[in-house]
Amino acid sequence: MKKFLTAAAITGAAVFTMAGQASADGHACGSMTMAEMNWASAELMANVDKIILEEGYGCEVELVSGATMTTFASMNEKGQPDVAGELWINAVREPLFKAMDEGRLMSAVEGPITQLGEGWWVPPHTAEKHPEIVNDVNALLSRPDLFPHPEDPSKGAFIGCPAGWGCQLANANLFRAFDMEAKGWLLVDPGSAAGLDGSMAKAAERGENWLGYYWSPTAMIGKYSMVPVSMGDWGGAENWDGCIVKAEQDCANPKPSSWTHSEVHTVVTTDFQKRGGPAVEYLSKRIFPGPIMNAMLVYMADEQAGGGDAAIEFLLQHEDLWTAWVSADAAAKIKAAL
Amino acid sequence: MDFFAEFPEMGRQDLRDFKKGIDASFREFSRTYGEAIETFFEPLLWFLVWLEKLLTNAPWPIVIIVICALAWLGSRSWKLVAGTAAAFLVIGYLGMWEDTMATLAIISVATMLCIVLGIPLGILMARSNRVQSAITPVLDIMQTIPSFVYLIPVVMLLGIGKVPGLIAVCIYAIPPIVRLTNLGIRLVDKEVLEAADAFGADYRQRLFGVQIPLALPNIFAGVNQTIMMSLAMVVIASMIGVKGLGLPVLRAISNQYLALGLLNGLAIVTLAIIFDRVSQEYGRRLQAHRQGADHG
Repeated sequence: MKKFLTAAAITGAAVFTMAGQASADGHACGSMTMAEMNWASAELMANVDKIILEEGYGCEVELVSGATMTTFASMNEKGQPDVAGELWINAVREPLFKAMDEGRLMSAVEGPITQLGEGWWVPPHTAEKHPEIVNDVNALLSRPDLFPHPEDPSKGAFIGCPAGWGCQLANANLFRAFDMEAKGWLLVDPGSAAGLDGSMAKAAERGENWLGYYWSPTAMIGKYSMVPVSMGDWGGAENWDGCIVKAEQDCANPKPSSWTHSEVHTVVTTDFQKRGGPAVEYLSKRIFPGPIMNAMLVYMADEQAGGGDAAIEFLLQHEDLWTAWVSADAAAKIKAAL
Repeated sequence: MDFFAEFPEMGRQDLRDFKKGIDASFREFSRTYGEAIETFFEPLLWFLVWLEKLLTNAPWPIVIIVICALAWLGSRSWKLVAGTAAAFLVIGYLGMWEDTMATLAIISVATMLCIVLGIPLGILMARSNRVQSAITPVLDIMQTIPSFVYLIPVVMLLGIGKVPGLIAVCIYAIPPIVRLTNLGIRLVDKEVLEAADAFGADYRQRLFGVQIPLALPNIFAGVNQTIMMSLAMVVIASMIGVKGLGLPVLRAISNQYLALGLLNGLAIVTLAIIFDRVSQEYGRRLQAHRQGADHG
C-alpha cells in the first residue's frame, strides 16, 4: 500500500510540474487537433508528433482519425483538424492550392518522408520470370494472359485503387489512356484498403502473378519486396493535372503517362501556424528518411504494433534522428518521459 | 498490492508471439489449402458470373417483366407489381441498372444458399437440444463479430471478388433463418404432434406433413430477415471487390458525394422493400390457404 501511495504522490507531483511548465511557457501551443490518417506511416507520424509535442512542448494533442478526402475537406471547410501530417496532395492539388492562395491552409514542410512514390507494381517472382515486362509498359500491357481475372480468365486483371480514394480516378483514366480494355484487361476495384492489401498479399504469398496500384513507403511493399513497373514517359503536367486526376466526364482524352511525382506535405491551418509557435517549427524540421520509415512499417506489421507503440519504438531506436528536430530542452524532456 | 493495481496480463513478448503464431499458422494453412479451397468454390463462382451476365445482358424490358411476374406469383397483388415495375424503371432511368443487376444477382444467390443451408440446420437444431446448444453460440458469433474480422482470413484464402463477398454475406445473413426455423418447429403444438403420432406417422411424415407446414409462417419470417440482412451487407461486400450498388456508396462516403450516396442507398432500400413485401405477402398467402383448407 505504501508503495502505491508513493507512486500516486509522484504521479500527482509530475502532473503538477507539467501543468506548471505548460502555463509558464509563454509559447506553449495549447490544445490542438491532429489528423491521424488511416494508414500505417501516417499513424506512426501522428503518434510521434503527439508524443514529441506533448512531452517536449506541453501541447495537448488530440488525434482525429480520417481519410485523405474527408480530412482535407474538413480542414478546408471548418479549419479542423489543425494539422494533417502526411497529406498526399496529388489527390487534392487544386482545392489545396486554392486554399493556400486564399490563406486558409499552409504547408509546414514538403516531403515529411523521403523517397515516396505511387505507381504500378508486380511481385518479385513475376519480375524474375518475366523481366521484359518490368521496364517496358507496352510489353506489360500486351500480356494480360499473365494476370488472369478470376471471374473471366480470358481477361487480365489490373487491380486499381479502392472506391473513393483519390488515386481511383487516376487509375481509371490511365486505364483508358493506355487503351487497356481493348488490350484485354479489366479494371478491378478492390473496394477497400483491406481488399487491395489482401489481394496483393495473397498473390505474393502463393507465388501468383499480380499487377496493381500501390505506393511506397509501406510495409506491404517492404515486406513482399514488390517491384515497380515502368509506365513509360511522363505525359506532361497538363495531361496529368487537367485530365488524369479528374472525374471521367471531365477527362475526355487522357494520354498515357508515368505516375506523377508524389508530393506529400504536412499541411497546417493558417490559424494554427499563427498560434502554434514551436510546434510549427518542429513540424517544419521533422523529415523521416524513406528507408527508416520502411523499416518502421515492417516492424509495425510484424509486431502488429499500433501507431502509439511504434512511435515509442521509433523514439527509442532513432534518438539521433529526432533529437535534431527539436530543441535541446525539449529533447531532454522527451527522453525523460520515455 | 501490485496484483490489484495492474491486471496480471500475459507478457508483451508472449502475447506478440501468440499473435504471430496464429498469423503464421493461418498463412501456412492458406498456402497449403488455398488453391484447393478456391477450386472447391469455383462452381459457385461460375454460377454467380453466369447469373450476373444473364441479368445485365438480357434486354431490360424482359428482366423487368420477369421480375414483375415473380412479384405477381409471390404476392398476387397488382399494386405491388405496379410498384415493382415503377421502382425498376426509376432505378434504370437514374443510371443504376447494371449495379442493381449485379447486386440482385449476388443477393439472390446468397439468399438461396442461406435457405438451402439454413433450413436443414434449423430442423436439426429443433430435433436435438444438444445440437441447439452447440449451434446457438456459433450463430451469436456470426451475427455480432465485426465483418472485417472474418473478411481478413476470407480474403487471404480466396482473394477479392464475388465468392469471398458471398461468403461474407452468408455468414451475416444465415442466422435468422436457422433460428426461426428452429423456433417455428419447436412452437408447433404438442397435441398436434401427439395426434400425428397416434395416426402412426413416422418421422418423415411428421416433419414434412405436420411440423414444417405449421412452422411455415416463422420460416418465412426467417427467409424475409435473411434477405434483409444480406441486402444490408451489400456495402460491406463491396469493400472486398464485389461489384454492385455498394461500390458507388463507398465512393460517395469517401468523397462526400451526397447525391450519389443517397441514390444508390435508396436503390438498395427499394430492392429491400420489394423483396420484403413480396416474400411477406407470399408467406401470408400460404397461411391463408391453410386456414381455408382447415375450415373446408
